[in-house]
Amino acid sequence: MIEIQPTLRAESLTKQFGAVLAVDQATLQVNPGEIVGLLGPNGAGKTTMLRMIAGILTPDSGHVSVRGVNIADHPLEAKRMIGFHSGDTQLYRRLNAREALQYFGRLYGMPEDRLNARINELIDLLEMRAFCDRPCDTYSAGQKQRANIARAFLHDPDLLILDEPTTALDVISGQFIVETIRAEKAAGRAVLFSTHIMGEAEYLCDRIALLHQGRIVDQGPLDDLLERSGCRNLTDTFLKLAGREVAA
Amino acid sequence: MRFRILSIIFRKELVESLRDRRTLFMMVGLPILLYPLLIFGMSRLQESQQEAQQQRESNVAVWGAMPDELAARFRDAPRLGILPWAEVPAGVRQALEAGTVEPPPVEPPRREADDRDAKPKPLPTEAWARAAQQAILDRKADAVLILWPGFSSSVAGGAAGRATILYDSVRPDSTTARNRLSDELRLWRIELTEARVRERGLPQGFHQGLEYESQNVAPQKRQAGMFLGMMLPYMVILLSVMSGFYASIDVTAGEKERGTMQTLLCAPVEALEIVGGKFLAVWTITLLGTTVNLISLSLVFSRVKLIPGMEMQIGAPTVLLAFVLLLPISMMVTALFLAVGAFARDFKDGQNYLTPIMMGLIFPLVATMQPGIELNAHLAFVPVVNIALLIKAVFLGEWMADMVFLVMISSICYAAIALVFAAQVFERNNVLLGGKETLGGVLDFSRTPGARPTPGVSMLLFSVVLVIAFYASLSLTKLSVPGMLLIVQYGFFLLPALALVYAKGYDWRETLSLRRLPWRGLLGALLIGLSAWAVASGILIRLLPPPESLVKALEKILMMDDRTVPLWQVWLLMAVTPALCEETLFRGVILSGFRRLGMWPALLISGLLFGLAHASIYRLLPTFFLGVLFGYAVWMTGSLWAGVICHALNNGLMALLARSRETVEQFGLAGQKYLPWEYVGIAAVVLAAGLWLVRGAAPQRSSTTA
Repeated sequence: MIEIQPTLRAESLTKQFGAVLAVDQATLQVNPGEIVGLLGPNGAGKTTMLRMIAGILTPDSGHVSVRGVNIADHPLEAKRMIGFHSGDTQLYRRLNAREALQYFGRLYGMPEDRLNARINELIDLLEMRAFCDRPCDTYSAGQKQRANIARAFLHDPDLLILDEPTTALDVISGQFIVETIRAEKAAGRAVLFSTHIMGEAEYLCDRIALLHQGRIVDQGPLDDLLERSGCRNLTDTFLKLAGREVAA
Repeated sequence: MRFRILSIIFRKELVESLRDRRTLFMMVGLPILLYPLLIFGMSRLQESQQEAQQQRESNVAVWGAMPDELAARFRDAPRLGILPWAEVPAGVRQALEAGTVEPPPVEPPRREADDRDAKPKPLPTEAWARAAQQAILDRKADAVLILWPGFSSSVAGGAAGRATILYDSVRPDSTTARNRLSDELRLWRIELTEARVRERGLPQGFHQGLEYESQNVAPQKRQAGMFLGMMLPYMVILLSVMSGFYASIDVTAGEKERGTMQTLLCAPVEALEIVGGKFLAVWTITLLGTTVNLISLSLVFSRVKLIPGMEMQIGAPTVLLAFVLLLPISMMVTALFLAVGAFARDFKDGQNYLTPIMMGLIFPLVATMQPGIELNAHLAFVPVVNIALLIKAVFLGEWMADMVFLVMISSICYAAIALVFAAQVFERNNVLLGGKETLGGVLDFSRTPGARPTPGVSMLLFSVVLVIAFYASLSLTKLSVPGMLLIVQYGFFLLPALALVYAKGYDWRETLSLRRLPWRGLLGALLIGLSAWAVASGILIRLLPPPESLVKALEKILMMDDRTVPLWQVWLLMAVTPALCEETLFRGVILSGFRRLGMWPALLISGLLFGLAHASIYRLLPTFFLGVLFGYAVWMTGSLWAGVICHALNNGLMALLARSRETVEQFGLAGQKYLPWEYVGIAAVVLAAGLWLVRGAAPQRSSTTA
């Protein structure tokens, strides 16, 4: 049997800020064409974990590799394979979306002709034509999110890391982003995705990891999680696991 | 660091900053508006005030009996209104009329020029003084003239009448009144004394004893330069760095606040590329601001006469030199702005963080505005002060090439230290993501066992060593040449280099190229050491001949103040010691730090630093050339000993020629200003052979390349 190389392998990641243990021995794996959801309450350590995986923060211990490339040893090579988006990643307000995308495309080393073609493709895909030539600080929340998603998708990364991509969006924009993520999965990309919205996770994720107080308390396909917890839905499962952990 | 990525970040930051109205205003708007407003406003205000004062009549209260002659003189004096007995209290008038009040005692003449203990004359406590003070402060009179009892009879009887003028030095109207009164009294005194001399048939000048006058020899340009030099460095430096103030906050704290810093950190870019691109963009903006400042200044000064009758042209060469001098200081401040701005959470926070840096600039700048403070060797290494004083010297037309060079080196060193600090801050992603990090945490140069120095560490080491060694050598001038040389070489060159390698846990062998020198390399190094000096002095010294004073100073050092010292001791001190210490520092640690840039950039940079360390513009080219050659020998052979041998032979040869008149005469060099071309030719051939030999002597080439 041929073993598929996982797109992301994060092992025993730990990060401490002063006295606070933000992430504790977290291990996670995402395969090509798979969407893995990272669920946890506020302050569970999701953002810190995703930042470590994206190579933005250096873990105190543990390893991250993307398609076998260790991010600590070869950060630039690994980052070229990652598209990262979170509520904290914004675009430059005095540039327009097209200029911002050109800037990032050049940083990723994309040839100019391919870059311009890809930008036009994303502008059409994410329906950005109406506003893409205006400065970013004139965008609505939904328009900003689309421009940010375009930036994360721009260089055709193997691994997409999306930290609460639908937060603060209206239903239509949120649904649009969700469908876009499904399309990326269909294109064979690995997606690691964090959300507060349980319905979104149930709809999108092949596997779910539950993070609580910096530790992954359970992970697996939705049905397995439900079976192990004895709950009817993900919300109850999450609450139960979290509560059990708190009680312990 | 990839220059393509650096350039992409630089261009984007520049475009974005130039779209920011605040930055544009600080860069272009402020200098264009401020100078004309300030200078025109100042001169107009001054003119109109002076005009108003000149037009206004001075009201002078005269207390005491006024002789008719004086009253007539006051009546004829322009704009002098005399108010007899005005505002005088009854008691004071009675006392003055009755002659029961004494004038203050006459002070004996004293020297004033160097009397540092001289105190301002206190106001007497008597009633007349308080009454006069009240009248002036209440603006009932601009000044009070008291003619003491017996004034008229003394004047008429051939003695001196006593009078006192009371005025308020803070109020211009009062000072004008004092001046008008003084003028009239002085002119009357001249008339009186001349009449007395005539009446008694005395020779002219009898009453004066001697006549003298002072004549200002400062040309008009110098006087204007003095005025400009006091004011302009302050304004130009401050406004130039202000151009980059908002841009610095915008690209650091502003980016953190807007969440774009994290976006950039996701991209495959190195921290050094980020800080480099941002630094270049902000520095460019600062330099654009500097250019606008200087142009605006020179245009304004060509139109306005701040001092009556004085032309204040700021010519193109002065503007250009001032611009060059502002390069390192703007570089240093920009790097500091970026490093400190990165700690701030948001824009407002950034302003709070950067304001102390601006204040830190203002204090030394104000100090340089004081008259009498001039640039000297000690001040040449004091950051900010050195540039301000040099700009002052430029306006006075008194700058010297060597002093410019010293100031530039020291300023570049400080700029390099600030840049390394900025790079260190940007290496901390936690800081850039808004996390907390103490300054101590950022400055913690942790041990990296087995590693090699980085270009930043090399630059930092060079800068720190140079500044410390410079001050140390200035404070050690009382020591003998050997004593000073030993302390500087071992204490300030060798020790810091070795301490750094130890403290950082670097690989000794790799960092210092501690390998056995192969025979071929040894032969090559011998040939380079014997010939390099001849080529350097034969060609490069002809390009920029050193002044006689420098040649004499160098000879004095090579003589070690004493011709009787045996030659072997001279070689030990002048050749072996610098060869060991300087090679460990420059071809050991510093060259090792630049290795990752490739051979030629590493050799050129380390050679340039070696040249700069010799602290003279006249020695820069030859020592740079020697630094590159010695570096090449070390790089090719993989052994520091190649550099040590080259350096020791080079210095030994110079010491021999400086000390041994026989050797000089033997080679027919006596009385020659430059080395004859035939010797240069022979030396060039020997040097080429030496280079060829070291080129093929690389037993461990693979480990010596980046």
